[in-house]
Amino acid sequence: MRRYSPPTFACWLLESVLPDPYREAILGDLIEEYSLRVDSTSPSTASRWFWSQTCRSVPCIAWSSLRARNCFISISTAMGVYIFMGILKFAADLIISNLVSLDQTMQVVLAPIVFLMTTAIGGCVAARIRRGATIFLALMVTITVAVLIDLKVCSIPVPWWYQYGFLALGPLAVIITPALFGRLKQPVT
Amino acid sequence: MKQGQLLGSLEQIVLLALVRLDGNAHGMIVRREIEERTGRNISIGAVYATLERLEEKGYASSFTGEPTPQRGGRAKRLFRVEAAGKRALQISAQTIRSMTAGLNDRWGTT
Repeated sequence: MRRYSPPTFACWLLESVLPDPYREAILGDLIEEYSLRVDSTSPSTASRWFWSQTCRSVPCIAWSSLRARNCFISISTAMGVYIFMGILKFAADLIISNLVSLDQTMQVVLAPIVFLMTTAIGGCVAARIRRGATIFLALMVTITVAVLIDLKVCSIPVPWWYQYGFLALGPLAVIITPALFGRLKQPVT
Repeated sequence: MKQGQLLGSLEQIVLLALVRLDGNAHGMIVRREIEERTGRNISIGAVYATLERLEEKGYASSFTGEPTPQRGGRAKRLFRVEAAGKRALQISAQTIRSMTAGLNDRWGTT
């Protein structure tokens, strides 16, 4: 008999975003219910249900964490990691500019690579210190990129999707990388 | 419960579900109970956020169960109603009864 697993990406998302008191309990409940639903309905219906629960649960828990006292520790951690990311990006830019001569094309190619590397490392560091901090860090990255786009700091002419790519991929890198490289327990059904 | 501090509607529903489940219930069981009885399809996140709030207020308590293979090796978090929670429910029910007394004709019920 074939065994089905819940959507891996939804599990990653929950694993990365949910803070400590909720993570084990919610993921466990969802995995248990998913296997029951696979038996009573179909794997695709059960997966849709799993995704709908994931998408609706994350904002509730994020809001609840914000209201709880311990959110200040998560915000402080995110702030610390955010400063660390700034230093890291500055150092990377400095090293690259010393190693290679940067024309406009080179800058356009290297900027997203350095940015994504920095956000990915930042996400991993934040998750390592405090899981709940990743969501705040992702929020800070989103706000920073949005402000930079609004201020039109990019002097090189680039297509619109290039800048908005930073806006979409930056927070995603913060949230997803720790899940990809973290110690994710594979759900068993 | 402090004078004048009423339970929120979801808090009330979750507490009532815990009383109905009589003892040790985890989030998904509470969610299922609410869905079966009220038809409200609430998310598991909303249930846990409410349970956490009730625990902070001292109306419910929780403990960690054993991890099982059906849950991908993850432990259950089981909740039960505390005496303060039962008192809060009584006060809420009493308040609703007082406020709705004699209003049936104004609601236009059949």
